[in-house]
Amino acid sequence: MNIAVCCKSVPGLVTDLKVGSDGKSLQYQSQLLAINECDEYALEEALVLKKAHGGQVTVISMGGIKSQDVLYYALAKGADKAVRVDCDSHDPRIASTVLAAALKKLEFDLVLTGTQSRDTLGGQVGVAAASLLGLPFAYAVVGIEVRDEKTIIARKELGGGRYADLELQLPALLCVQTGIEPLTFVPPARRIRARQQPVRSFSVGELGLQTEPLAPKGYRILSVRPPERLHQAELLQGSAQEIAAALLTKIRESV
Amino acid sequence: MARAVLVLVEHAGGKVDSVTSQLLTAGRQLATQLNGGLVALVIGHQLDGVVGALKISGADKILRVDDPALASAAGEAQGQVIAQVARQIEPRFLLIGYSLVGMELTPAIATLLGINAFTNCVNVEMRDGAVTVTRPLFDGTQHAHIALDESAVIALQKGSFAPLEPSTKEAAVETVAIDSMNLPSRSQVLAIIEEPAGDVDIGKAEIIVSIGRGIGNEDKIPIVAELADALGGVLACSRPVVDVGWLPRERQVGASGKTVTPKVYLACGISGAIQHLTGMRDSHRIIAINKDPNAPIFGVAHIGVVGDLFEIVPALTKAAKEAKSLRD
Ligand SMILES: Cc1cc2nc3c(=O)[nH]c(=O)nc-3n(C[C@H](O)[C@H](O)[C@H](O)COP(=O)(O)OP(=O)(O)OC[C@H]3O[C@@H](n4cnc5c(N)ncnc54)[C@H](O)[C@@H]3O)c2cc1C
Repeated sequence: MNIAVCCKSVPGLVTDLKVGSDGKSLQYQSQLLAINECDEYALEEALVLKKAHGGQVTVISMGGIKSQDVLYYALAKGADKAVRVDCDSHDPRIASTVLAAALKKLEFDLVLTGTQSRDTLGGQVGVAAASLLGLPFAYAVVGIEVRDEKTIIARKELGGGRYADLELQLPALLCVQTGIEPLTFVPPARRIRARQQPVRSFSVGELGLQTEPLAPKGYRILSVRPPERLHQAELLQGSAQEIAAALLTKIRESV
Repeated sequence: MARAVLVLVEHAGGKVDSVTSQLLTAGRQLATQLNGGLVALVIGHQLDGVVGALKISGADKILRVDDPALASAAGEAQGQVIAQVARQIEPRFLLIGYSLVGMELTPAIATLLGINAFTNCVNVEMRDGAVTVTRPLFDGTQHAHIALDESAVIALQKGSFAPLEPSTKEAAVETVAIDSMNLPSRSQVLAIIEEPAGDVDIGKAEIIVSIGRGIGNEDKIPIVAELADALGGVLACSRPVVDVGWLPRERQVGASGKTVTPKVYLACGISGAIQHLTGMRDSHRIIAINKDPNAPIFGVAHIGVVGDLFEIVPALTKAAKEAKSLRD
């Protein structure tokens, strides 16, 4: 079974997050891009499926040259091939259009993505790409069982401790939930070695996409700023002991 | 002609989910300002009970798509049905709850309709003549305010709006037929499974002390477990703590875990993502300890401490133990 995994690179350790001078963008000190955690779980699951059923795992990431690091990381984890599409956008419509076009160039039975990325918290790209490709899909998948060459059973969360078991015909796309497999550790030596492996890269033009549909449209970002609190919490201040004493009183009077 | 605001009704087991009434509040505000109607769309099978409950929900009209094919339909077919209906009525906006249902369906519907979707929204309102949504970025520590110039799907967090007052007038119900023969059948629901009960039921506790990723390390868990003990409460957690295997799933609070309403919910090192808030925001008293003053947990907390949990928690444990020994 050939599996394509979509992995986004997101700022790793973010320090000094602040709103840019235009008031509409975020600026931060983060030299490193790391694999988006939700996507790492998707990658782990792909590698587990590959071990059990054979086939190849291709990781694919949309992003600038810096996001190449995430692809090397995925190769070090055990992915067979890596593809980068050179396009930087936080717009889910654009990202899904680009990823769907790139997926068309690959051979796969199954596409795995994470549920959401930590920077934009949108959770749209996986299902949107499936819809563009006309694939059946499921979101928040906690278990995958391969029935035969053509069918899989996926268990997805419904919330509140309820799950649905779905039968899906391949090819299909699943947005994998965190925790589906334990994350494995990659020894630094393997990460260094992985940098020797080739990464195929595409420009959006090479994917046959025009630049016009790749511009955000239909909305304007007015501002980005820390949340306004409608319901202001009472903030306790003082030494740890003073705060503890105050908290204990509050807890006591609540029960 | 003014276009309607369409609200997707969320329901399960014959019951309308509470998010629906909240969506109707948001939808009513928009519809009034846009001078259009408020239409509720419900899809599924055997919907008599659900439609009955919706009649006085405050919507102007209810569209009912009730078809045996929808009984076991997965996201792909559901998305297509909703898109089919939306194409007929061309709403100005489609409102959906950002629950697990909405997370799955929103991008599918928007893609099929070729419009934008804005997920995870905490607000939608008219601002300077434009419908504007507010949604979190970066673990919720920042909010983006986005003006919408075109039709869009807006997925709103549960709890963003109060429920709509029931109306005295019954809404008209219109049955919409769909082309169920041509629905995709490449994915089907085989069964619905309930998670078996675990050893502890955090839903019964009066005091919950909950840890998040801020705990940093499995070895540190006893520090907070000791506080839970000293307060006579139980230990619970956010999802990442379970994902890495530090605590069992039955301790997880949130959208895909338990919903709890204890007298005291003490959140230690939890940022307050919507999927967590959904499971605890109705607790009687919420206390949050977090290093980051912008953490969204402070948006629902009654009492907040901006600080290091490893300073506050041991001090509180000590105070609780001393108070206890005084009483005994
Ligand atoms: C479909 C779906 C379902 C989900 N279901 C759930 C669910 O049921 N429950 C759930 O919880 N999540 C759920 N999530 C995940 C959710 O989106 C968040 O990722 C998660 O809640 C974040 O957990 P957290 O707050 O512990 O971690 P983070 O967001 O990483 O926050 C850690 C916090 O700790 C603070 N901190 C760090 N160190 C310290 C310190 N020493 N002292 C004080 N504060 C400190 C930081 O400032 C930060 O705010 C779900 C996600 C999806 C997509």
